[in-house]
Amino acid sequence: MTQTLLNLLAIAVPLAVGFASLFAFTTWLERKILARIQNRIGPNRISLPFTRFRRLFGLIQPAADGLKMLAKEDIVPRDADKLLHLLAPILSLVPPMMVLCLLPLELPYATAGMRALQAAALDNAVLLFFAITSLNTLAVFMAGWASRNKYSLLGGMRAVAQMVSYEIPLVLSAAVVIMAAGGMNAQAIVEAQRAQWFIFTPWGLAAFLIFFIASLAETNRSPFDLPEAESEIIAGYFTEYSGFKFALFFLGEYLAIFAVSGLAVTLFLGGGAGPWVAAYPALSCVWFLAKIFALIFVMIWLRGTLPRLRVDQLMGFAWKFLLPLSLLNLFVAAAALKLAKPWLSWPVGALVLYGAAVALSRSHRADAAPRTYSYAE
Amino acid sequence: MIEGVAFYILSTVAVLGALLAVSRRNLVHGVFALLLFFAALSGLFVMLMADYVAAVQVLVYVGAVGILQLFAIMLTEHVTGDDLRRLGARGWFWGLMLAVALPVVLLLPPLLNGEPPVPPAAPQSTARQLGSQLMEHYVVPLEVLALLLTGALIGAVAVAHGPEKDPPGKDRPA
Amino acid sequence: MTLNHYLVLSAILLGIGLLGVLTRRNIIVVLFSIEILFNAANLNFIAFWRFGPNPEALMGPMFALFAIAVAAAEVAVGLALVIAVYRHFKTVDLEKLDTLREP
Repeated sequence: MTQTLLNLLAIAVPLAVGFASLFAFTTWLERKILARIQNRIGPNRISLPFTRFRRLFGLIQPAADGLKMLAKEDIVPRDADKLLHLLAPILSLVPPMMVLCLLPLELPYATAGMRALQAAALDNAVLLFFAITSLNTLAVFMAGWASRNKYSLLGGMRAVAQMVSYEIPLVLSAAVVIMAAGGMNAQAIVEAQRAQWFIFTPWGLAAFLIFFIASLAETNRSPFDLPEAESEIIAGYFTEYSGFKFALFFLGEYLAIFAVSGLAVTLFLGGGAGPWVAAYPALSCVWFLAKIFALIFVMIWLRGTLPRLRVDQLMGFAWKFLLPLSLLNLFVAAAALKLAKPWLSWPVGALVLYGAAVALSRSHRADAAPRTYSYAE
Repeated sequence: MIEGVAFYILSTVAVLGALLAVSRRNLVHGVFALLLFFAALSGLFVMLMADYVAAVQVLVYVGAVGILQLFAIMLTEHVTGDDLRRLGARGWFWGLMLAVALPVVLLLPPLLNGEPPVPPAAPQSTARQLGSQLMEHYVVPLEVLALLLTGALIGAVAVAHGPEKDPPGKDRPA
Repeated sequence: MTLNHYLVLSAILLGIGLLGVLTRRNIIVVLFSIEILFNAANLNFIAFWRFGPNPEALMGPMFALFAIAVAAAEVAVGLALVIAVYRHFKTVDLEKLDTLREP
């Protein structure tokens, strides 16, 4: 029994520590990339104390930020619900860490008892992933409620409505991959993409785009970051949080981004596959992380480029565009998997899906018209 | 041994969550205790080798039913229990008596008859088997369930919608 | 753990759910307690499936899945009714909702 415990620790501790340090690296990456998109340089002034190293491209900035957050005073509003106020950041951190166990990340160091870094090689890993990520909505709601602040509550309700609406296209686009791979086991899905990654099929590409957009909305990333943007409702559901609790929310959000990107890589981009993996199996971990960072780079790019969506535009986009498209994608994928001539799937699939997307957006063009206001009497 | 420990921890959490959900004056605390109960029950399902049902329990109950209840208590009053009315309904004493007596009566056969014979092996349930059973054997209940859920969705929206206000977009003259 | 352990647990949960339904004045707590009753019954189904002879291989999880789906539909409609009742009577106190009672 101690052997299983040691195996578990040898898997869990590198996961937790590794992804936490990747979080620090990602905050630095985000600030630098956003800065360059906005034609400025970004943080580059922090230097290691008591040394002669100057600047170092601002890589020490995340450490400085962490120290600042730790040292700040923890302010709790007088009428706030203290228990829920304390629990909300913790609850926003636990589900993303749990689902990091479900990703098929192969360990570079393999001993006889633990082959893959996948701490839980479950048969229904993908379903459990979606079940656990639906716990993020609870943390948001708890934060908005416990602050005893009208604006936090409003921001929290909007955030919950957004996250619940975008769960359906997320799950339906993953259902396409489950159908194609024949199971919900993450390893089996990676094996099924050995010949061709699912993103290179028409239904897979559409499913990947829907999954990516829905995952941006699920993790409250731009352009769907209405609940937490600096100019909307102060800061939304975490207005009343300061100091370390705010840092925990931040950590939870970035870990959720890692988790969802990891699932996208597993479902659509072939997991740890890449050149020279057969010769050096330790490289599959590197390829997995590289693909996750490619997706994170695209997310940061979108944050720097696109304007924010209004709340009714956001909800309309989910229910009236992404949901019908993902349902249609299910049919197209089922037809493409049963087709006698496989080369026909590209023209027909692309035509059907692109035509449906264009038709859906045209039919809702009236929603984007300038608003008419009724005057107060 | 570890299975026993897990069972006792999960069942204690479940009973505590249910008790807190039923007895708190503050409804928001009650809902979160109820969600803890659902999560503990999901753990018990995993111990009973029904892992697909456990995942569905978390997804549906914690992720959807819980959020629905939170939204509903937001839209009604007195959620924080600041009012000083009595907590119990009239006749709460006989309710308590019944709630204690019924489990005791239900538990008389198992506790008197002792342990049932243990079957040789745990039954298998995979998602693939469940899916094929749903499509072959249980397809009529599945379709009826789909109709029921559609009806519930439309009905809930219709009931909660409320009376029509003025037609939108109509500019009243100044 | 044996079947009797799970039966005792689900009977206790049934009792707690009954306590909530019969004792509280707030409609929403009554709805919570109905959910507790549903879950206790599901636990019973799965426990009997795990420990008993099964002529039909998947009866336990099948029944539990259908029960979960039906319970979700019931909660949706029930909470919509609560919202409609609140809009009309401005209260969720069961003692005050007595217009159908004989005077």
